[in-house]
Amino acid sequence: MLTEFKHTLRRLRGSALGWGIGLALYSLMIVSFYGSIGTMKLQILELVSGYPKTFIAFFGDLNALFTPGGYLDIYYFGYLTPIIGIFAVSACAGLLVGDEERGILDLVLAHPVSRTALFWGRFLGFTAALAGVLFLSYLAWAIPSQSVGFELSWGELLLPFLSLFAVLFLFGALALLLSLLLPSGRAAGMLAAGLLVANFLLIGLSRLYSEEIGPIVRFTPLYYYQGGQAAQGLNWGWLGGLIASGLILLLPAWRLFLHRDIRVGGEHGWHLPALRFLRRG
Amino acid sequence: MEQETAILIRGLVKWYGRIQALRGVNLEVRRGELFGFLGPNGAGKTTTIRCLLDLIRPQAGEVRVLGLNPQANPLAIRARVGYLPGELNLEANLRVEQALRYFDELRGRRTDWSFVRELAGRLELDLQMPIRNLSKGNKQKVGLVQALMARPELLLLDEPTAGLDPLMQQEVYRLLRQARADGTTIFFSSHILSEVEALADRVAIIRDGIIVEEAEPGRLVHMAVRRVRVRFKKPVDLAPLIRLDGVSLLYQNNGIEATLQVEGDMEALVKTLAAFPVSDIETEHRSLEEAFLAYYKEGR
Repeated sequence: MLTEFKHTLRRLRGSALGWGIGLALYSLMIVSFYGSIGTMKLQILELVSGYPKTFIAFFGDLNALFTPGGYLDIYYFGYLTPIIGIFAVSACAGLLVGDEERGILDLVLAHPVSRTALFWGRFLGFTAALAGVLFLSYLAWAIPSQSVGFELSWGELLLPFLSLFAVLFLFGALALLLSLLLPSGRAAGMLAAGLLVANFLLIGLSRLYSEEIGPIVRFTPLYYYQGGQAAQGLNWGWLGGLIASGLILLLPAWRLFLHRDIRVGGEHGWHLPALRFLRRG
Repeated sequence: MEQETAILIRGLVKWYGRIQALRGVNLEVRRGELFGFLGPNGAGKTTTIRCLLDLIRPQAGEVRVLGLNPQANPLAIRARVGYLPGELNLEANLRVEQALRYFDELRGRRTDWSFVRELAGRLELDLQMPIRNLSKGNKQKVGLVQALMARPELLLLDEPTAGLDPLMQQEVYRLLRQARADGTTIFFSSHILSEVEALADRVAIIRDGIIVEEAEPGRLVHMAVRRVRVRFKKPVDLAPLIRLDGVSLLYQNNGIEATLQVEGDMEALVKTLAAFPVSDIETEHRSLEEAFLAYYKEGR
């Protein structure tokens, strides 16, 4: 398992560094603006008051912008999930099936490595790479925070990152499961990313139509993602729930991988009855 | 008995959806044997080999590799087996040595690296080359090195010389003979008759998912069909040639040129041709696949 863990980390090193450094630079830019936000409070509120109410509602309570937690949420964590989600979903969708489609998995599994070790070693490798990406971003917030008057301790700053990690862990696990259910890793990645974006939009819409959509979003993962608000108090139950849900998705994925016929290469066909009927026609 | 058997397959059946790839394969390979596994594309060679390593699971039948059931003991088998896939793909962003070290790590770092360097040297493989820059032949060499480097008890090689030039093929034959001399059992698939003749102690032919022949290579050569083109210095009477056992005339041009089909060995034809004014003779080396397709098409 350790070999596969290290191997996965090595493979994800490039993309993890790219994402990590990119997000860290963006974080540095956002955190450096914080000092000027307080001095421009009135102008910003005046500007925002001109926006359509529906638009403002989509992004939550804009008055919270002037608190550290609200600033973190609105300027960073509020919309980060679908962006960094691309890394999580694409890495996990290709974790096993990507190698199978490239014809690499065949030779790897001809060596004395169990499918269990391969599965968990690789997923843990992804988890460590994801933690690395978020940690770089965390450092970019934490190191300059005191100098710009950001009134959150390093420990408090860490909490939204934990919340983000948990939700990405869950969507990564979903992408991995889908990759073993669907005929191709690409399709699995697209579906998982689509579900993440749909969930993100649904959460935004639930702020506009709380009565209609509110009860539905409770059953979606992003409802339990606190974002920047976690800095004022992380809901450990929600965090644990997201991680546990991810693990629950991983169990059938593991089982599917254990009993899978490893392909020599290429994507699997869809074998849709309707298409077969059309071809016959 | 079991201790003397490296591979035992009984009634192996494998379906891919609605397609039946194996229809009850029976096969036995003895320890220390160099065994050739032949058949046309899609006959079931790769499927059979992949069942031996538990990469795919058959619907029926019994398989034993080195006395073990691949589904019950996959790791114990893979630790003792070296495998070269028919379609070799390697991680393009690694260097050759990095790829080999990764495979070595999967085996628990038991490889003797001086042996790896010796293999690389004999195959003229640069260990520092990025895999993405390697030609098909050089990638095949990486595959061969990774299969051989752990000095396994059993080698499963799917088309071991595919993409290699003739000189390198000869070097691979030497490596395989040496491995066999060191006690390794070798089970390899091939399309090339000369390769089978040069290497195998015994050969099995698979067609449409079933073993249709199991024999010594010499017997297969006898069964094989080839074409011989002969040009003469002056027009000749071809009747003495056509009367020979296993020789038939496919084409002739006024007795100055003839294309003959020869079944079995060439001895009788060559002896008879010695009495003819031959200016040129050309033998068409048909692949084993073609030769046996012709053989079976004739309903024998």
